[in-house]
Amino acid sequence: MKIIGFVIAIVFIFSANLAFAEQALFYKEVNIVGGYSDVDEWTGKSNSLMNSIGFEDYRKFSNEYGDFLTTDLQARLTYDSLEDSQDAVGVEIHNAWLQYKLGYGYNLKLGHFDPAFGLEPALDTHATLLQTLAMKNIGFKKDWGVALKGSMEKFDYKVALQTGSGMSIRRTDGSYLFTTRIGSSTSEDFQHGLSFLYGEALKTKGMSTFPKNHLLSDEAVTKKRMGLDAQYVYGSYLFKSEVAYGQDNDEDVLGYLFETDYTLPGHQNVQLELQFQSWINDIHTSDTDDSTLSAGISYKLNENVTLRTLVAHDFNLYGEKEDDKVLFQFYYFRN
Amino acid sequence: MTKSYFSSIILGISVLFLLSFSSASFAAVGCTLNDPDRDVKRIFPESTGYRTEFITIEERGGEKLQKEIEEKLGEELDPIYEGIDTPYAYYTILKGKEVIGRVHGINQKGMYGGMQIILATDLEGKIIDLYYQKLWSPEGPKFRNEDFTEKFIGMDLDDFFNEDTLKTIEDPSEDSAEDFNATLRGIKKNLILLDIFWGGDKK
Repeated sequence: MKIIGFVIAIVFIFSANLAFAEQALFYKEVNIVGGYSDVDEWTGKSNSLMNSIGFEDYRKFSNEYGDFLTTDLQARLTYDSLEDSQDAVGVEIHNAWLQYKLGYGYNLKLGHFDPAFGLEPALDTHATLLQTLAMKNIGFKKDWGVALKGSMEKFDYKVALQTGSGMSIRRTDGSYLFTTRIGSSTSEDFQHGLSFLYGEALKTKGMSTFPKNHLLSDEAVTKKRMGLDAQYVYGSYLFKSEVAYGQDNDEDVLGYLFETDYTLPGHQNVQLELQFQSWINDIHTSDTDDSTLSAGISYKLNENVTLRTLVAHDFNLYGEKEDDKVLFQFYYFRN
Repeated sequence: MTKSYFSSIILGISVLFLLSFSSASFAAVGCTLNDPDRDVKRIFPESTGYRTEFITIEERGGEKLQKEIEEKLGEELDPIYEGIDTPYAYYTILKGKEVIGRVHGINQKGMYGGMQIILATDLEGKIIDLYYQKLWSPEGPKFRNEDFTEKFIGMDLDDFFNEDTLKTIEDPSEDSAEDFNATLRGIKKNLILLDIFWGGDKK
């Protein structure tokens, strides 16, 4: 808790220091999600999104020799329609980081940010109904810690050491998470990356930072992974894929994702999306996979508002009842 | 965590959110460089740093300026992708404290999807380098090829008002003339904005 407060305080202190705060972008966000699920019936949430209001404060600090620091604070006040009223409201801290420029191509990052593994750090899934494998694979999309980011002539790399606790900071069972990803330039039509992960990650439920999300076990899970990810743009199509293989404690696990996005050439504010993802919790035991097919439409109504809908079908959910659901989303993002 | 501490956080976010409705605004995210360190160092190997600045049409002149830009461009700006409060990112390139150039990008609607065209210019507004950061086109490699992009090196905004000069640049594609025309429009828009926002460099 003290560490979270310290990082956020540092971000605010720099933000308030007008002697350096030359450039700032402040965005506000409204996210309304609702739909129907066989399991939950009428619901006001998706796997990773809830009804919420929030903001993002992004700043660049520079002096006469150029930029030296970037900060980002992104938070949401959420309402979970499936919880009791006393537990329904929470605060999610998504980004809370400072990035200090060590030199050309070398940056040191501190705070709450993406682990360096798979598709997730290469995409912005903050507001989208479709998600990557990160939640199934690692258990969370952001974690607290430090990272070194760099770029070479043809490749980018990132090495991160984090707490292994995800949205909230906890020190339980010596948890930590080491991740590293080396990937091609994000300006190319064909982008690809190779990732490794090793650590003791905590298993939690929920996305809330305040109050802390629920810790499902006092024992951390020993995770070992390697992964490949790729994106390819061809015409109006964007293909995305990732695969991850490794162990959770002594069990061999495997996950893969394929997604195709199609932008209508005549109406480029409309995008059709189709995704299949599967996470096999024990590859030596049958029916231990979580496999879901999703189809979605994204419609950019204007500069600030995007409407999305999603239909999802679970082929199998390990230890849970398969679900069919349809979701609708109103997403507003502007300053 | 105490209940009062949690309540304070909720109150803080709510107040920040509500206050922000009355502030001057940026809207959509403009075109920023995916990896400015690599791109700037490649184009300006002698540089020692760069300074990032965000500028909107709204803050520099509002609707009047928007109309001026549209007149120079010869067509209206797209309200979804080229809004008046879209922040344009400008990277001022430094050698020590000395300004030696700028890098700036724009979003442009293409035939199959959006394209992001990045220009590097000297202080006279002449193009030093041009590349597509994003390009949705089956003929993308032909547009990205240096044989095509190098034809723009040395050009400035005046050249985009000169039909004879523009005729010397041939469409590199076979079936994507719309993307070729979108490229010309995008570069022209980029140079118009550079001239309006940073025209003082030439003085």
